[in-house]
Amino acid sequence: MKNTLKVERAINNLTQDELAKRIGVSRQTINSIEKNRYVPSTLLVLKLSEVFDKPVNEFFKLEETD
Amino acid sequence: MNLYYMNMKSMLECEQKRSEKFLNFKLPHSFKKVGWIGFALAFIALLSTKFFEGDLEVLKTVLKKLSLVFLLIVVFSKEQVEDEMIQKIRAQSFSFALLGGVLYALVQPLINYLVFLVAKPEKAIVEDLGDFQILWFMLTVYLMFFYVNKKRS
Repeated sequence: MKNTLKVERAINNLTQDELAKRIGVSRQTINSIEKNRYVPSTLLVLKLSEVFDKPVNEFFKLEETD
Repeated sequence: MNLYYMNMKSMLECEQKRSEKFLNFKLPHSFKKVGWIGFALAFIALLSTKFFEGDLEVLKTVLKKLSLVFLLIVVFSKEQVEDEMIQKIRAQSFSFALLGGVLYALVQPLINYLVFLVAKPEKAIVEDLGDFQILWFMLTVYLMFFYVNKKRS
């Protein structure tokens, strides 16, 4: 799974820390998601979609290997 | 009939919530410090018993148990931000520690035996490890794995 979290964050002018605080996780977790090291839960992804005001599959995409 | 099913359902849900609450129980973050300091003190005291003479077996046993309890406190206290990624790392570390503990308990006595067989054949016996050694190993493996993974993530 790939994501464009970093881009969305830039569009919304948010730092990793600010985003982390808004959805109640650590900055490390946001960093891991951005670097594709951690796949977030549905709950967390829905929270992200609320922050960015966009449907989930606009910033999370399945890859062929998934 | 319908009411019966509803009651059953709510009972099941209640039960599930209760067990979840029990499984997710964690001590507050401040206990981490308490655990580490307590463990350090107990461990130093345990090491320093080597320099004193006399019958210290009871004291040694108490200190060993204490250091295990303090390590357990460290394991079961929350991180600063206890989110889902930390919980995943926790779960991985627990399974790794269990695997490590079982393998250690099985293999270590054999290694001991083989080493003695080479060095002092007359003393070579297959002897099981004590509970302290196994628990100590499992807790250490858990903590090591947890912190390494947390840093790497």
